[in-house]
Amino acid sequence: MSHGRRQKPKNLLMILMLSPYLLLLFFFGVLPLIMAIFNVPTKSPSNPNGGWHVIKIVLHDFRLVPAAWHVLGFMALFVPLMIFFVVAMSLMLDTDTAPWKKWVRLAYIVPACISGSVAVLLWYVLLEPTLSPFKGVMHFFGITQASQIWKTSNLTYILVFMAFLSLAGQWILIQFGSLQSISGEILEAARVDGCTQFQLATKIKLPLIRKYVIYMGVLVFAGGLQIFVEPQLLNSSVYHGIAQQWSFDQLSYSLAFDNGNFGEASALSLMLLVPSLIGALLVIFKTDMFEDVNFKSPKKLAKEAKKREAAAA
Amino acid sequence: MSIDFDKKAPATPEAPRKKKRKISIGHYAVNGWLIFWAIFSVIPMLWLILAPSKTDRQVSYKNPLSFASFHGYIRAWKNLQDFNSGVLAHWVINSVTYNLAIVVFASVTASLAGFVISASRIRFKKTFLISTLIMMLVPPVALVIPLFIEMNKVNLIDNPLSVILISSLYPFGAFLSYIYYSNTIPPEIYESARLDGCSDFGLYTKIAFPLSHPLLALLAFFAFVGNWGNYFMPYIMLPSPEHYTLPVGLGALFFSTPAINPGNGATSVPILKPEIALAGILVAVPVMIVFLISQKRLIRGMLAGSIKE
Repeated sequence: MSHGRRQKPKNLLMILMLSPYLLLLFFFGVLPLIMAIFNVPTKSPSNPNGGWHVIKIVLHDFRLVPAAWHVLGFMALFVPLMIFFVVAMSLMLDTDTAPWKKWVRLAYIVPACISGSVAVLLWYVLLEPTLSPFKGVMHFFGITQASQIWKTSNLTYILVFMAFLSLAGQWILIQFGSLQSISGEILEAARVDGCTQFQLATKIKLPLIRKYVIYMGVLVFAGGLQIFVEPQLLNSSVYHGIAQQWSFDQLSYSLAFDNGNFGEASALSLMLLVPSLIGALLVIFKTDMFEDVNFKSPKKLAKEAKKREAAAA
Repeated sequence: MSIDFDKKAPATPEAPRKKKRKISIGHYAVNGWLIFWAIFSVIPMLWLILAPSKTDRQVSYKNPLSFASFHGYIRAWKNLQDFNSGVLAHWVINSVTYNLAIVVFASVTASLAGFVISASRIRFKKTFLISTLIMMLVPPVALVIPLFIEMNKVNLIDNPLSVILISSLYPFGAFLSYIYYSNTIPPEIYESARLDGCSDFGLYTKIAFPLSHPLLALLAFFAFVGNWGNYFMPYIMLPSPEHYTLPVGLGALFFSTPAINPGNGATSVPILKPEIALAGILVAVPVMIVFLISQKRLIRGMLAGSIKE
């Protein structure tokens, strides 16, 4: 009894210490979702009587299918390119431990600090045949006018290029880090068995870093689905109208802030959240990425401990 | 959790000479490609750093990677300062103060949360961890419209508090702290301290906190890197130019000046490519410095809980 009485105030202090984070998690993680769900069936210009019918209206919006094609096209190029390139580069970096590779790794991290509006500025310069540091190469391939690059039909490739250059470097280093966790003895045994560098990379290292590659794949997929800043800035600042409501998030933004239709915007936001949530749950429960995390409740842990004690006895 | 980047390859006593000859062409090709990509990675940043040294005309016609003069930086800085009655100073101050508040608040709340989950036996630990992991893996952009609706209801739109509070939710930090405390402090230490009469708050201040310096540095690093360049959230929540952060201000420079798009018409002070590049430096260089100094931390942190010693 006395033990029980002592536990309560202790837990109270613990809960007090946890509460700032819990409040943030509730107000900025859970509540916005609840509010968005309640906001979906409210009255709006396109849904004057209100109701869940709005989901149908969003699905029939003439801008949704083009946005879906754009984003799917973007993802179809971006996600495999990222995974293949990042894995290949990190395996190449891991072939030996030459001291100069330290500097190479430092260089790879540089584009990671170029994000959002700076990325748009820099990748615009990189692709502009009159400004680009690579204009010699561009001129060699006959690209001398901005109009040859900046057209709507090229937008998918331009955005893949921007997103890829911004993200590839840091993921190369992260996957290289995961390769460092492979036991030296395994690699040595494979070498003794006559493995070439290529076999070592594809047959030993790659299967051992599979979970990190899946983790990267899910984060890259979820981030790619929500592409907004690059097409929005290109559209509003660089070439007006080149990427009007090009992505899902731009459409959602336009519904909310151009049309004042928060019901439709919320519906679209919630629909977009579903694939990200599925991806997150897959990583948590279907991979061993977080295998060390102890999800078990205190009761279960106590039961297991008792069982172990009984077995030992 | 530590990764040794310079781990020596296990010695291979007899094979090396033969192998070196066998793989030399492939080896050189691989190394050549790695160096090529490193140079390619650095060139855009080099352009950004060198562009303000030139005039707008020189940016277009001079060698893109050439340096013109230090006077160019001073001229570009003065022009930026004079733009819209010195609004740039507001953007710099905003970026610094918002980020400082976010880094402190996010790191403290995340560290406390991680400690409580690792040291206590409170209920709903599983729910807490799963919801934290979900929040960690769902991109923040996905919640921007719902968050706008919420902030609008409580009249916090165009109030910096909206960005500070929203960005202070740091699920990745809470998870990182949980892993850190679970790995560094065995539960027996807490138990014996409790027997000695230590309160739960005392467990944090006397045991966990003194051991938390590496963790707090890691938390602050990720909070800073994740928020300094953030565009979408402040863009939506803070519509007044005096509340902009540097990345949003840079975006505004794009669409309100002829620097990138001559169709925008002239501004009272010349804001052209060198000025835009200098504003870009203000956004990118602080993160670059932090990245270059803390390269190893980035990787350790990103793989927290999954890389074992």
